[in-house]
Order: sequence, then C-alpha cells, then structure tokens
Amino acid sequence: MASIRLENIVKRYGAFTGVQNMSLDIADEEFLVLLGPSGCGKTTTMRMIAGLEMPTEGNIIIGGEVVNDIDARDRDVAMVFQGYALYPNMTVYENIRFPLRMRRVPASDQDRMVRTAADMVELGAFLDRKPGALSGGQRQRAALARAVVRQPQVFLMDEPLSNLDAKLRQSMRVQIKHMQRQLRITTVYVTHDQIEAMTLADRIVIMNKGAIQQVGTPDQIYTDPANTFVAGFIGGPPMNLIEGTATGGRFTAPGVNAPCPANLSGRITLGIRPEDCTVGGGQVQGLVYGVEPTGDVTYLSVLAGTKQVEVKAARDFRSDIDVPITIGFDPARLYFFGADGQRIRGGA
Amino acid sequence: MAKATPDRLRRRSPRMRAAFPYLLLTPALLYLLAITLYPGLFAIYQSLFVVKFLNWTWTGFGNYAAILKDREFWAALGNTAIIGGISLALQTAIALTVAYFAYRDPFIRGWRILYIMPMLFMPSAVAFIWKLAFNDGRVISDLLMSLGLIERNVDWLGNIWLARLTLITADVWQWTPFLFIIFVAGLQGQDQEIEEAARLDGASWPAIFWNISLPMLRPIIVVAVTLRGIDITTMFTNVYVMTQGSPGGATETMSYFIYRQGFRMFNFGYASAASVLMLIMTIIIAQTVVRRAFHSGKA
Ligand SMILES: Nc1ncnc2c1ncn2[C@@H]1O[C@H](COP(=O)(O)OP(=O)(O)OP(=O)(O)O)[C@@H](O)[C@H]1O
Ligand SMILES: [Mg+2]
Repeated sequence: MASIRLENIVKRYGAFTGVQNMSLDIADEEFLVLLGPSGCGKTTTMRMIAGLEMPTEGNIIIGGEVVNDIDARDRDVAMVFQGYALYPNMTVYENIRFPLRMRRVPASDQDRMVRTAADMVELGAFLDRKPGALSGGQRQRAALARAVVRQPQVFLMDEPLSNLDAKLRQSMRVQIKHMQRQLRITTVYVTHDQIEAMTLADRIVIMNKGAIQQVGTPDQIYTDPANTFVAGFIGGPPMNLIEGTATGGRFTAPGVNAPCPANLSGRITLGIRPEDCTVGGGQVQGLVYGVEPTGDVTYLSVLAGTKQVEVKAARDFRSDIDVPITIGFDPARLYFFGADGQRIRGGA
Repeated sequence: MAKATPDRLRRRSPRMRAAFPYLLLTPALLYLLAITLYPGLFAIYQSLFVVKFLNWTWTGFGNYAAILKDREFWAALGNTAIIGGISLALQTAIALTVAYFAYRDPFIRGWRILYIMPMLFMPSAVAFIWKLAFNDGRVISDLLMSLGLIERNVDWLGNIWLARLTLITADVWQWTPFLFIIFVAGLQGQDQEIEEAARLDGASWPAIFWNISLPMLRPIIVVAVTLRGIDITTMFTNVYVMTQGSPGGATETMSYFIYRQGFRMFNFGYASAASVLMLIMTIIIAQTVVRRAFHSGKA
C-alpha cells in the first residue's frame, strides 16, 4: 500500500531518450493506466518503478521513500512481464508458488493461495503443466497469477491481457479491477488497448515518444483532450482532425465549412468525434467513401476534399460509394487545436 | 547472374537432383570412413586374433575372455573411473562456481581468450610442465615448503593418492576453462527477464541460480560434462609423461593399459579387444546419461 511519485525522470540509452522528463504522482490505492503507441516508453517506465532499470536522471519515490538505490528485490512490487517471464523448469503450480516460497510465506498457506490465484485466472486445470506446454494466453494468465498471488506494495502489469481472446479479456478485466479494489493495492497498468484503459483506470496517462501528453480520468481524456495526439489516439474510431483555416468566425477546409470562435484565425485544426456528426447538415459536402456496418452501429467514411471524415451513422444506414452526401457537426462538440497541436480552449 | 544457379538446378534431371545432396556429403563421408570407421573396424577384426606381428592366429573371443579375467584390466578400469570421476567432478564444480560469479560481468566476453589459454597449449607440453612442477623441478614442493605447509620434498610418485592427485590437478587445470566458457555462454544466453522476474519475486542471487538458472542450464551441463567425460576416459598423454602408471599401476588408466599391451608388449589383438570393450562401455554410459538427462528435463 503505497503512493508512487516520479520526479523529472529521464531515461537515456546512449543518445536515444526513452523517457523524457516525466513527472507523475500516483495516489495510494490508485489504478493508473499507461496508454500509448508501441515504443513510447511504457515498459521502460514500469521497469524503472520496479527497479530493473536505473533512471538516468530524477527520483522515484515509493511510499514516501526515495527508492533509486533500493534493489528491485526489496521494493516489494509484483510485476506481470510483457514477455511473461515464466520459469520454464517449473510447473504452473511451482511458478505461482515461487514468490510465496521466496518471501517466506508460511508453507501451510501457500497451497491455498496458489489455488486461489490460479482459479482467478481460470488455470486450475493446468497446474501440473510446464510453461512450454501452455498456449500464449495460458502463459499470460499464469504470469498474472504469479504476480497477484501475494500482496505487494505495488502491482505493475505490462499488457497482461494482450494475448487473450475478446471474451476472456473482458472477464479478466473485471477480475483485475475487482481484485484491485478488494486488495487496495496501487496498480500501474500498461496497455495500448483503449477499452482496457477506459474501463480499468482511475486515471489514464497518455504517452508519446517518451513524454506524457495528458494525465486525467477516462472522462477527461475523452471529452477534454489536451492536444491532437490525445484526440487522435482515443476513441474508436478516433476524433476526426481536419486541418484548415479560420477567418471571421468560420472554419474552412476543402469540402468543410463550420463555425468557429471569432477570435481564431490562421491555420488551425478542427476536431469532431464521429458520434457528434450526423448524416445531413451543412458542414461537410463530400462523397461516400465506405460504409462499415458493425451490428449495433454503422460507420461511414466520407471523402471531403482529400480528407476522410468518419461518421457514426444509424444502425440501418446503407449507401453505395461515390454518392454525394452532406454531414452536419454538433456545434457544441467542436474542438480546435493550434498549429502546434495544442488545444485552443474557451470561446466556442 | 543471380538467377543463373536456380535456373540450372531446375533444369537438372530428377535423378541428378536426388543425388546432389549425397554428392555434397561425399568428401565428409570419405574423411570419416578413412579416419574413424576404418581403424575402428580394423580394431574389431584384429581383436579376434592373437597377433604376433605378421602372424595372426584366430582366437574368436579368446582375447575378450582373457581380458575379463585380467586383474590389470580391472585395475585400469577402476583407476580411470577414480581419476576421471574426481577430476570431472572437480572441474565441473569449479567451472560452475566461477561461471556463477562471472557471467553477469560484461568484461568476461573480452577476457574469454585468457580463460581458454590452458586449452590452447599442446597437451604434451602441458604434461611436461606439470611433470616439471611436481616431480623433476620440485616447484610445487618448494612452494609448499616456503609456505610452511610441509617439511620435506614430497615424492609425488611414492604414494597412490598423491600420484593420482598430480594427474587430477593437471587435467583440472587444463580443462576447467573449457567447461567454464560453455557454462558462461549458456548462462548469458538465458532470458534475462526470467531472472528479473525472480528478483521481483523476492529471490536472492543464490536462490535464483539454484532454482532457475541451474535447472535451465542442465541440458548444456549434461552435454559438456559428457563430452569431457568421454575425453577423460581416454586420458593418456598426462599418464604417459607424468607417471607412466606408477606407483604400482595405481595411475594406469585404460588408455595407458591399452598402449602398454599394444606397444610395449606387442599384444595387438589383446590391445584391440581392450579398446573395443572400452568403446562399448563409453557409448553405453554416454547414451544413458544423455538420454536420462534429456528425458527428465522435459514434460
Ligand atoms: N535496452 C535498451 N537499449 C536501447 N533502447 C531501448 C532499450 N530498451 C528500450 N529501448 C527503446 O526505448 C523506447 C521505449 O521502449 P519501451 O519498451 O518502453 O516501449 P513500450 O512503450 O513498452 O512499447 P510496446 O508497447 O511496444 O511494448 C523504444 O524506442 C525502445 O527501442
Ligand atoms: Mg512494452
């Protein structure tokens, strides 16, 4: 049970900067999700918290204590590795029991704890297998069970569900969240799956190229993105970002004409989420580019000038391609970003 | 140009294509036949005769029957097992221990050449060095005396165990680095994340080595030790140079026994039979060890 604080963390590999100037406060018992594209430094950040990697600069503070010089073994964190890191010479049972043995948990409790953890990840029937005889998803669940079998100060989970099928992933997600609430253990969770991030997180940290882009609750990240990167990363499909020109209260781009705050001028980017667009209306004049029925909703791509605009249309919307179409924007849901990609707030 | 070869290959007749791999193998096969198979078969053939130079008399399994009753043969077998066993156990233990302390050191890669130096020397030269150090030059005795550990010069060949010790020392000195290099390479090849996971699980370095690294290294240990074991059973040079089997045959190994029968007493058939027996025993032991180790390593 501990808070975590990162103070101006920098990690360099030679000339390459893996994590740049990262500062972050993670509250006690918080469920924090690191979200970002591949190679943005999520695993590196986790490894520094775990003590497997030394930060080049900055301090890491766990439970009020600077832990930079404390060995990984003594930080009392449990981690699910992206590559599982199961012990190949041990059975699943022995794998899960290993942390209990090493932390000298009374032998009489070990068996019960191992079975509880294994049942949680639905691996009860595989306890006698060695990792080599498990599927990718089963290995991942074994790694998860090994991490949650004891009660550490901090859980670090590096994409623990990435290899599971949709159904299992959903049920694991609920399990993890339930367990975290029950045990009240501070958790840092890495994913590049937005749904996982949105459903699990108390707060989400969006990272790109080693730098934090935004920190906030899932709602804040979704409704109040700080820049074009966050706006374009969150949502499925993500926000439409249309580059154009603002003059005298109008935003124009090829095939697009929308209201904008009168104080804006020059090259800016307009953002609008697909669900805030409607078929029919005066903001976009274009051609139907593609129609994707998914069952409960139909996604529509409209080609406006050279830019595709994604629209969330009614479930029964159907159209041929290359048919002229108009799209309307909800004026209350327009976002504007400056030429540097930062959000221009207020006004609208 | 780049496409020429595959095109021509495709146009070859099917029979030519089927024969091609064997053609490629021919030089290696010829070499193997000439170097190992021919002498091997010759030895088996010769072992069925009593050979007095050009005069071969058929005896069937007579040589084998005689050998199995020969006390010197059994003594040599025992000596080989004792000297080889102790030597092998010692070098494996030392190599593993040093490897455990050294493998995380990035400099090991650079220094490898230093570690393998003893293996690069000519075996007979090494044998002579140790002969000098122990017996003729008395270097070791002098050293021990100056440390105050002993009073007088030691006669290393005057005592069964001291004589064996000199052979063991020489072999350990020369071959521990071989095992060390293999063990270090094996340990360095292991997935580092597994060690890190164990660290986070609360394991100390010795616990990680004992519970994880060592079991993962097992197949490599088995193969390396088996190779070394086969080599040790044929230990000859050091015996020939350093002890010649003395005192009283206590350091006569199988190879030296065979050599003595063949080239000192000219019982070629007898020597051949002994080497065939030894070959069979080596194969059986190596097979069992390797099969055991690999089977229990799985499932
Ligand atoms: N040991 C290393 N030496 C050099 N560069 C490294 C090293 N480890 C990581 N990097 C680099 O640091 C960057 C961040 O890596 P990291 O593993 O943290 O990415 P990630 O966000 O976890 O990505 P993914 O989602 O693909 O797992 C990458 O560009 C990677 O190439
Ligand atoms: Mg990663």
